[in-house]
Amino acid sequence: MAAFADILKQFFYAPDEDVGELFRPSIPADEMTLLASQERPGEYLAFFLAQECYAIPIDQVREIVRVPPLTEIPRSADNLLGVIKLRGEILPVYDVKMRLKLCERPPKIAGPEVEPGSLTSTSRILIVRDPEGDVGVLVDAVREVIRLKPSEIESLAPGIGGGDHLVGLGHLGTDLFILLDIHKALA
Amino acid sequence: MAYKILIVEDSKASREFIASAVESVGGVEAFTTSTGFDALKLLSRQRFDLIITDLNMPGINGLELINFVKKSPTYRETPLFVITTEGREQDRAKGLALGAAEYLVKPFEPQQLEGLLMRYLNIA
Amino acid sequence: MTTSTKGLSDFVAEATEILDALSRDLAILDRRRGERLEPDLVNGIFRSAHSLKGLAAMFGEQRIAQLAHQTEDLLDRLRLGRIELTEKVVDALIESFDTFQVVLAETSRRERSAVATERAEAVSQKLAQFIDSGTVEQSDALDQLELDTQVRNVLTEYEEHRLRENLREGMAVWKVRAVFDLSDFDQGLARLNSKLKSLGEVISTLPSADPGDGTGIAFDIIFGGKVETEKLRLALTALPASVHPLFQFQPQPAEPSLPLEQLVSPTPPGAEPEHRSPVRVAVSNAPQQASGALPAYANPRFGTADAMVRPSPKQPDGEGDPVGRGLTQTVRVDIGRLDSLMDAVGELLLIKANVARLAEQASRGGKPPPGQLWGHELHRESRLLERKLDDLQKGILEVRMVPLGQVFDKLARTVRRIARESGKEVDFLMRGGEVEVDKLIVEALSDPLMHIVRNAVDHGVETPDERERLSKRPRAAVAIRAMQRGNQVVIEISDDGRGLDEERIREVAVRTGILTRAQAEEMTPRELQRLIFLPGFSTASRVSELSGRGVGLDVVKTNISRLSGMIDTHSERGVGSTFTITLPETLAIVRALVVSVSGRVYAVPLNAVSEITSIAESEVRTVEGREVIGLRGKTIPLARLARVFELPETELRRCFILVVGLAHRRLGIAVDELLGQQDVVVKPLGGRLRHTPGIAGATDLGDRNPVLVLDTGALIEEVVNSERRPELV
Repeated sequence: MAAFADILKQFFYAPDEDVGELFRPSIPADEMTLLASQERPGEYLAFFLAQECYAIPIDQVREIVRVPPLTEIPRSADNLLGVIKLRGEILPVYDVKMRLKLCERPPKIAGPEVEPGSLTSTSRILIVRDPEGDVGVLVDAVREVIRLKPSEIESLAPGIGGGDHLVGLGHLGTDLFILLDIHKALA
Repeated sequence: MAYKILIVEDSKASREFIASAVESVGGVEAFTTSTGFDALKLLSRQRFDLIITDLNMPGINGLELINFVKKSPTYRETPLFVITTEGREQDRAKGLALGAAEYLVKPFEPQQLEGLLMRYLNIA
Repeated sequence: MTTSTKGLSDFVAEATEILDALSRDLAILDRRRGERLEPDLVNGIFRSAHSLKGLAAMFGEQRIAQLAHQTEDLLDRLRLGRIELTEKVVDALIESFDTFQVVLAETSRRERSAVATERAEAVSQKLAQFIDSGTVEQSDALDQLELDTQVRNVLTEYEEHRLRENLREGMAVWKVRAVFDLSDFDQGLARLNSKLKSLGEVISTLPSADPGDGTGIAFDIIFGGKVETEKLRLALTALPASVHPLFQFQPQPAEPSLPLEQLVSPTPPGAEPEHRSPVRVAVSNAPQQASGALPAYANPRFGTADAMVRPSPKQPDGEGDPVGRGLTQTVRVDIGRLDSLMDAVGELLLIKANVARLAEQASRGGKPPPGQLWGHELHRESRLLERKLDDLQKGILEVRMVPLGQVFDKLARTVRRIARESGKEVDFLMRGGEVEVDKLIVEALSDPLMHIVRNAVDHGVETPDERERLSKRPRAAVAIRAMQRGNQVVIEISDDGRGLDEERIREVAVRTGILTRAQAEEMTPRELQRLIFLPGFSTASRVSELSGRGVGLDVVKTNISRLSGMIDTHSERGVGSTFTITLPETLAIVRALVVSVSGRVYAVPLNAVSEITSIAESEVRTVEGREVIGLRGKTIPLARLARVFELPETELRRCFILVVGLAHRRLGIAVDELLGQQDVVVKPLGGRLRHTPGIAGATDLGDRNPVLVLDTGALIEEVVNSERRPELV
């Protein structure tokens, strides 16, 4: 009967997570009006890949979903984890950890040979806008939405990070966010 | 009671754009028509607090509409805005001469329209 | 200015509608080069450009607004005869249309490339050249008319312009005054307008509140035309209108309407109208042919031979641009179809309510588990649901259907253009444009059809001289015919040109190593003809500048097989060729066989499978290292799906074989299990997943994750063709 109840729970529609609650402004609201336009901060979505914290501009993120079962695509690129169905739409889901040298090869999360432990309860898929068709990116956890002023962004010194997919480092308090060009990381 | 604004514009996309800008001012309700004729019909059936019209429309153009409106006792005092494309200064001048209160040149920011609306409807 | 997402999609949708209308009108214009210019046609194109300009201006799309402005100007001069409609002008108009498409496509993706911007400017300038070359503006006829300032005040610049031009062209101008009832003036006015439009041009419509009669509304219509006043009056007898030539003082009762006071003295009828003189705004008996002036709707002369336009090779392929693709994912729908959908949805809501109630009953915790009665009810609702969903599905499929004629029009334009560019004379015949097919299919067909038609004109059809020598009609015939056959659609493209040269094909095949000389000699002409669908095969001796990369029919074939369709060719040397494409009517729903391989589930379209059998491992043989199986005396190649897809293989003593393909090109696909059959909705894998080999799309089996649908055509290609030898049959 317990299993039946679980099935019933799924019968009643529950929306995916609401991003709105994740917002943490770096600047209190009344200070905002005093900012000169050059200091207009950008909003970023911060998320975890392994132990590192990354961020991409929020307007690139269409939505965030929990990880549904994936279907693997035979003979596809290494970083393509599979496809998902999102409200009728078929979207590819990619891994970026391999490109960011956080692991040797992408986790297997689709098909019968799924590696246990590659997905956790905090894993999510970010649906990212792309002119060629929106794509999903697997992340280990979503952190929050942050605001970074240009003055809070440091450009990368040589020796830190390889490749043009890293755009800069954001500092907010004592936290470090690695700003990512997601389209380059998926190339 | 909400203020009633009549929008006369033959392009659907533009109509929607203007209507959203107008309705983002609280207490304002937008009515839209696509031709001068329909505008005439609506005007004879309802009272409007403000009229916004495009100029270059087929059939009855905006200027003719303004002329008619300004000569009609019911709407003589109603504020009227015209929307023109760039380069049609003569049209703009004629519109103002006929009694239009303000003009907007495409493309314009919605905030501009909102500001004018608030001013003319005396909304805080 | 940044437009909201909704604003952008509204803009793109409306712009696309305008461009659709423009496309249709331009197609007609293109077809009727050399014929009398129909004013309505040019007016229609003019109005499209005008609307596009206003729309683009509102949304800050400068590139489109600017180009539309130039196009509008050009068309205006055309309408009023200041420019002739030469070949070059028509081509320039078509070019500007293509440019709109490109820029709009970019805009819809919120992109902005230098290439497109430059192109828009270049075309703008080209149009400007035509405008400048037109006849020079004379002194203002309107000033000479001494129109009442009140009237001039309500004429927009643009209407003034039209009035001016009408006068210049020797048209007579009237004011037509009509009074209608407030309750139905739009109908009355519409009737009056249509009558007037058949006789000339409505320049402006001025409404005025009628004085004495509170329930009436009066309109003053400024009208220009080439008829005599009496004739005009006669035409309008049934309507509440009075006609006043615009040169008489027209006393109006004191009221807010607009008196038109002209101080021009009337011309006696029969006098020769000279339209330069300030006096002669004539209601003349001979309104046409004012001396020295071209009548407004001149018969455009054909451009001379040097008007042949050289193809501009630098442009991104005009047809390769998203001209055929829907920029918006929209279709026009018949309301009746929508109504039946609404009904179906209504019934579904009822079923949902019932099922929710049953679920609610069951989830009330603590009670004994739901009983048999409950089970029956659920079952019944489930059956009802299935039936209603089926209805809904069918209804929605119908809504997605669009006529093939959409693509045909574009093909016609291409044919004419390429024929001109290559010096050939071609009659393009279209039949079956009303056949409807799923919108996605129509869009996907655009490129392949374009390709085939191009080849036909470029390579297939001979020059007029050559044709005469061969005793053929100098004008070649290229035809496209669409027919419905059951739930399939057949499209035939035929030409009466050279036909395929089997000798050439044989040579190329041998030269490029596709066949050995011995194999090539053995092939029948039919088999040789089919070789043109192989990748890299091109019988064009040089890459023609006009058709890009030569033949490339392998791409066409791939695209068509992606649509679960087939293409075949039939040709006769010296007589002509025919390409036949067979397609399912809808891409969307397919009866599929669900199979599993190495623990993964796949769907195989049933219409691709000619038979299903099973064999034991021990029955598999090899020929030169390739696995084959016997099928009722014939030997066909075997492909283990697990192996093809590089999946870990399961050890089974028996496996199931799906036989796909036709006649000589058959293949047995080995799978582990057969899980059943189902009607599925196939969604193509778009975007980055476009080129997934062996996979046609994905579907929904009601489970949580999508199931991939096999592209059997591609699998056949992969396995069979890689062998490079004819099958042992």
